[in-house]
Amino acid sequence: MAKRITIDPISRIEGHLRIDVEVENGAVSNSWASCTMWRGIENILKGRDPREAWLFTQRFCGVCTTVHAIASVRSVEDALKLEIPLNAQYIRNLILINHGLHDHIVHFYHLSALDYVDILKIPAADPKKTAALAESLTSWPGNSWKTFQAAQDKVKTVAASGQLGIFTNGYWGHPAMKLSPEVNLLAFAHYVQALEYQRKSVQAVAILGSKSPHIQNLTVGGVSNAINLDSLATLNMDRLFMLKKLMDEVKPFVDQVYLPDVCAIAAMYADWFNYGSGVTNYLAAPDLPTDSKNTKFDLVGGYIMDGNLSTVHRFDGFRDKVFVDGVTEETKHAWYKGEEPLQPWKGETDPDYGDWNAEGKYSWVKAPRFQGRPMQVGPLAQILVGYASGDPLTRAHTDKALDLISTIAGHKVGVAQLQSTMGRHVARAIRASMLAELGAKHWQLLVDNIATGDVAIHNSPDFPAGEIEGVGVHEAPRGLLSHWTVIKGGKIDNYQAVVPSTWNGSPRDAKGQHGPYEASLLHNPIADSVRPLEAIRTIHSFDPCMACACHTFDPEGKPVATVKVL
Amino acid sequence: MKKIRICGVGSVLLGDDAVGPYTARWMAANYEFGENVEVEDLGTPGLDLIAYMTGIDVLILIDSVENREPAGTVTVYDKAAITRQRPAVRLDPHAPCITESIFVAELAGDGPEDVLLIGVTGEQMEVGAPLSDSVRKAIPRTVATVLEHVVRNGGSFRRREIPLDSHIWWEEAASSVGV
Repeated sequence: MAKRITIDPISRIEGHLRIDVEVENGAVSNSWASCTMWRGIENILKGRDPREAWLFTQRFCGVCTTVHAIASVRSVEDALKLEIPLNAQYIRNLILINHGLHDHIVHFYHLSALDYVDILKIPAADPKKTAALAESLTSWPGNSWKTFQAAQDKVKTVAASGQLGIFTNGYWGHPAMKLSPEVNLLAFAHYVQALEYQRKSVQAVAILGSKSPHIQNLTVGGVSNAINLDSLATLNMDRLFMLKKLMDEVKPFVDQVYLPDVCAIAAMYADWFNYGSGVTNYLAAPDLPTDSKNTKFDLVGGYIMDGNLSTVHRFDGFRDKVFVDGVTEETKHAWYKGEEPLQPWKGETDPDYGDWNAEGKYSWVKAPRFQGRPMQVGPLAQILVGYASGDPLTRAHTDKALDLISTIAGHKVGVAQLQSTMGRHVARAIRASMLAELGAKHWQLLVDNIATGDVAIHNSPDFPAGEIEGVGVHEAPRGLLSHWTVIKGGKIDNYQAVVPSTWNGSPRDAKGQHGPYEASLLHNPIADSVRPLEAIRTIHSFDPCMACACHTFDPEGKPVATVKVL
Repeated sequence: MKKIRICGVGSVLLGDDAVGPYTARWMAANYEFGENVEVEDLGTPGLDLIAYMTGIDVLILIDSVENREPAGTVTVYDKAAITRQRPAVRLDPHAPCITESIFVAELAGDGPEDVLLIGVTGEQMEVGAPLSDSVRKAIPRTVATVLEHVVRNGGSFRRREIPLDSHIWWEEAASSVGV
């Protein structure tokens, strides 16, 4: 008989993502993904000035701040058919690139790595052997045996104190943990180093955005970074070079530490290329536009159906007709009124809360569909669409990573295997290495453009009296994000944000089709139902991000998540 | 000289959860601080709080809390009290993780010597609601408590003769709280 496991963040306000799986004969036989928090934040935008919407949307989520700001201004600009100056385009792109790098580094090292790295095996490692292993992978200067010894001493100190701190609830000694002590130590030392590099990316965002985490330099029509290379108060050569220095430091970390670590762990856990494919329809937005009209992009967008790369269809721009006509959201299994799939401009956000019901409504997340199909979004979708459509940058970075994985694993790992739990981590690292390269390119584009004497940063918006609709699209770190705005007489009449985790964390639809989290859990092995590490590995591979709006601290010490076996 | 960072945390879109950002912005507009003191509205940084934990000696967080006290009560939690809350299995990076961020920063050997949480007991967390009256009335006490800890850690401040705009943009009628 199937055994039901619920992994549920139980705190009163901050509960977000809940996963239920049924386990039969050591594998998942059924699954549900639920968001346990009501948002409805879109409703507070109605009646507001579209020029200030981005300030509010930037607060939807504390981790994905920048992305909601960008999607919001793009949606209003799309409604107005407003072009933005080249400088504004490059400055925005540089913010998005650095935000993305920060997000991917933190996701791998600080959210996911400890799903594969067993901290308690580290004291048994030989730091010199670890250094030799690291040298065989890359020439990173931070891989000396003394660095590894220092990292090992930290773990020994924590272990000896009996206060495991952050490691209290890790799944140490779990049968699914397979790395040698040396590889565990290598990854842990980089976990510590990653703290420094993710901070550099935050600083890079702050140089352009005036502040981080909430950038202040956006306007509908461009940016507010006055450019004057000789003035202290503006975006000048000093600031541009500070930005370059930070990006020049982060790039080697991505190329020589993050990507090789992911490839090594992937090769050593190659069985995880066999699990977690789930929904193999992929959807990605084009991004990093290189012209004012949003017709040329450095990241390719489009879609793929049924895991078949030959079905790839590329999107021409942010408002590709196939994309706009294809998107609907439905609520058969979500706690909202209405049954019919609605196009987002017509979208409604009327709550209809009831008990969690496996057969009925069980989530606050709506079910977005594209051409009636559930879609997976995220770095994997972006990489597959780019690879399938022959984008040279995607191909070069992907082939390099696959070669390294194949060498370490001792057998060929191809692009098809990326459609898996481990593939999502690899794709994210590939995306990071592309972003690091594109960061250097867009910095140069900005500097060269300013050198021509162009200092334009803003085109003024002009709101017509009637009704207009816009869609703002962004390929965010977690995947395709779209903000759908209806503006009437210069005020917001409707606003819907279809976020990446809505696509991936979607509940079933009226036809019973699972969303990507749910589908990816099916057939995952579960060795120990009290410690469902395998389910957590698959969920973490998506970089999940539920409504993350509330931040109340609970000093009574309730755990953030519990595992309940029924 | 100790480096002090004051961070208001919470969601400005959810009623009393805005008390951290509100107070941080109000303080920055109404006080000038010594060079070693920074004030920031961080919103809901989740795991990204780690980036703001390093390079300083003292972190003072202002946040809404749930602690069975009447709404508007100001309570100070020290590092030991904060870290009593154990991190657990984490599904997404967004759940509040003050404790976890402290541990991670310490592990890197770069964490603050001291962390203080100035907690204001909330009353409601409704989407789009302004601060409740009880929490709004508690802001002068919250500010005074933060300033007291700034001074205790060797920081200095001065009331601005002409206050700057607090930019409480999410509340159209940003009222004076009269500290």
